[in-house]
Amino acid sequence: MSGKKKTLLKVIILGDSGVGKTSLMQRFVDDKFSQQYKATIGADFLRKDLTLDNNKQVTLQIWDTAGQERFQSLGVAFYRGADCCILCFDVTNEKSLNNLTSWKDEFLVQSNISNPQDFPFIIIGNKIDVDDSKKIPSLQKKLNNIVNQLAVNANGLTYPVFETSAKDAINVQAAFEVVAKMALQQEEINDANANDASDDYNDAINIHLESEQRGCC
Amino acid sequence: MNVKSNGGLLHGTPSITIAGGVANSDSTTPDKSEASLYPTPSFTHPDLSLSSQLCVNHQRNNSAYSANVSLIDIYGADSIIELSPKKAQETETPMNANILDSLDTEEGDTTDELSVQNKVSKSFSTNRTISTSSIIPPGSVKSSDYESEMKRMLLPYPMSISKVQDILNSEFDMYGFKKETSLHVISRQRYDSWFKDYSEYLNNRQKKWELLMRANGLSVRTGQIPTRFPPKSDKVKKMIRRGIPPEWRGNAWFFYAGGYEKLNKHTGIYAQIIEDTRGLNNKDTEVIERDLNRTFPDNILFNEMVVTKLSKTSSTSFTNVENESETPMIQSLRRVLVAFSYYQPQIGYCQSLNFLAGMLLLFMDEERAFWMLVILTERIIPNVHSKDLEGVHTDQGVLMLTVKEYIPSLWSILGRTYDGEILEKDKILTRLPPVTLVTSSWFMSLFVGILPIETTLRVWDILWYEGSKTVFRVSLTVCKMCLEDPDFQRTGSSSTMGVETEQIELFQFLQNYPKCLLDPNEVVDKCFKKIGGYGFGSISQDEINHCRDFVSKQRAKMKDRKLSALNAELTDEERSILLANSNFDNEIHDVYGFHRSIMSGVVWNRNISSKMKKKFSRKHSTD
Repeated sequence: MSGKKKTLLKVIILGDSGVGKTSLMQRFVDDKFSQQYKATIGADFLRKDLTLDNNKQVTLQIWDTAGQERFQSLGVAFYRGADCCILCFDVTNEKSLNNLTSWKDEFLVQSNISNPQDFPFIIIGNKIDVDDSKKIPSLQKKLNNIVNQLAVNANGLTYPVFETSAKDAINVQAAFEVVAKMALQQEEINDANANDASDDYNDAINIHLESEQRGCC
Repeated sequence: MNVKSNGGLLHGTPSITIAGGVANSDSTTPDKSEASLYPTPSFTHPDLSLSSQLCVNHQRNNSAYSANVSLIDIYGADSIIELSPKKAQETETPMNANILDSLDTEEGDTTDELSVQNKVSKSFSTNRTISTSSIIPPGSVKSSDYESEMKRMLLPYPMSISKVQDILNSEFDMYGFKKETSLHVISRQRYDSWFKDYSEYLNNRQKKWELLMRANGLSVRTGQIPTRFPPKSDKVKKMIRRGIPPEWRGNAWFFYAGGYEKLNKHTGIYAQIIEDTRGLNNKDTEVIERDLNRTFPDNILFNEMVVTKLSKTSSTSFTNVENESETPMIQSLRRVLVAFSYYQPQIGYCQSLNFLAGMLLLFMDEERAFWMLVILTERIIPNVHSKDLEGVHTDQGVLMLTVKEYIPSLWSILGRTYDGEILEKDKILTRLPPVTLVTSSWFMSLFVGILPIETTLRVWDILWYEGSKTVFRVSLTVCKMCLEDPDFQRTGSSSTMGVETEQIELFQFLQNYPKCLLDPNEVVDKCFKKIGGYGFGSISQDEINHCRDFVSKQRAKMKDRKLSALNAELTDEERSILLANSNFDNEIHDVYGFHRSIMSGVVWNRNISSKMKKKFSRKHSTD
């Protein structure tokens, strides 16, 4: 693949509706926050140029999605070719934490990633600015459980976890820098494997086979 | 013109205000209850119970207006504040009484549907007028930002210079939306300079509409919102395309979309659903709750923060408003969405319905908004909001077919995937181009939040009258305008750009571009006037229906085929071989082939497409 493509990294933000996906993206890209975001319909994306530690120039292309389950059927078109996936939950909403596993599974099914066990995911718990009393009780323990669960099929990987506040700009920058590094690594692996990716058209069909096979193990 | 005689553009809305309730909590009870009657029960003083609010109905014997009747049954007569017709009329302005008289004369005493319709609408308009008149009783208005904001929004058409000035002086447009928000691309200055001209246009249209009404034997009086409209005709269609007077919109949409028929067939149902869904808690209601405040956060009627901000600068009599945790509009929105999710379980709640319901609620009461949602999802854009979003896939397939047919220059960009391959025509439906992620939201939200408010409303005027072809026509128009925009030409036409970058540029441009289309006339004219290769108005509903039929049948076949291949008793290996087998592939391609023989019954508008093709090839040869 071309040298140009290497610098373009595609990142997908997933998570339940209302966890703050749009806010995180806006905070990172434009360093702004508004209480007035509307619910996202379909998908939206923003770009941001970054220079990593090694002086590597990258462009992050961040895709923000509608959080409602049914919108996943539209996802096929943009999950494809992702280099990193952010699984996002709301620290005040336990359901959104528990749903991370199904978001991950869904992503792997839809994106037809060739090496699912190596694919980089990152977990972001947003809204840490809120009062402790509103947070999920014993958050850390539950979060650890979920993270372990998420990593069960991963090749000994542990997925980085960040607790952020898009509102107060806590940890957002740091999280996305890690995202960029992980995405860059993945992109390089993808490039190396590029020759293997011959058959593209039967994706929709392969998807189902893959999911079935996973069900067996 | 005084406030009293106004229907109020935002009729119920401002009632937040409520005015009667909050600002003048010691006004008489009948006034308060009447005020609450319409458009939505929640508009009253908080201490009035829902039942008393809903049950006031001085037209109990009118079976057509049965929502209230059945509420009476539900809640029991005890909670009813009854008003005799006479008493109700006493609270009306003399002008309204005259209107009622004239309506009565026109209708006669027949029981045919039209007459029932008129009675229904009469009751609506009566209520509305009363509610408005009680919102700001003459002489009791103290000046404050909040109050004057609300009062301004009650101002009706035709607008006088001073009212235009009021809007120009405000941060908010005539519907309560902030003219400029953090996410909007339009500056307040640009809005105002556009609105100055557009308000004159509105005045002219208003006059033309009044003439049209009179020509059809429908009386119109200044400040009155008509409830009957002329029967469909070419003349009326043209008038609709040029815009319905903002204040008349709710009634006109409802009339032309067949709202009365729906309402009459389902009398009392909405009230019953509201009762049945009280306290409902499920997956849908959870998502609804999260979306309520994310619907129109930039609208004064939907965002308590905007209200609070305003009320803080106002007199102490508004403390009630400040303490309200959510606006009455939000409560109405919740009820409509929950009721809808309950009534249409195959849809439930789908994000984007909040925008549709929210917009409807700015122009009509809850019950009507509810039935309009039902009409929309049953008849106009079926399955678009269903659990599998099948209608979205279908309509995007149709849109791509029409883009390919009518805007080939756009297709040459759209039809590529990120990997740079050219999508063959037979693959249009198997793999929708990524840009359909942008256009699918146009169909789901019907341009709410996509186009500027007035432009959206002008599209809605046409949509409710002409049906779903409108969405395709407007989508094609917007796509073509985007493509021809000099800014896009600059970014998009660079031949050195990689395909992927070009795709992304287009995606982003198409996402942001519609937000700039502040002038509705530009969009509507381009859509319908055959100038410069536009004029998508000649795409017929038949053509769209045939395409939809074609796409959805092909999708169903494809699905079946995949399923049967997967369910066959094969080993994984055999299945892989089968699926990878080229014969199977070819079969699919045959099914999906965009061959004219398969598109039986689809009559393409050769005229437009050949023009487009000529233009396109000319452009290329000159390049």
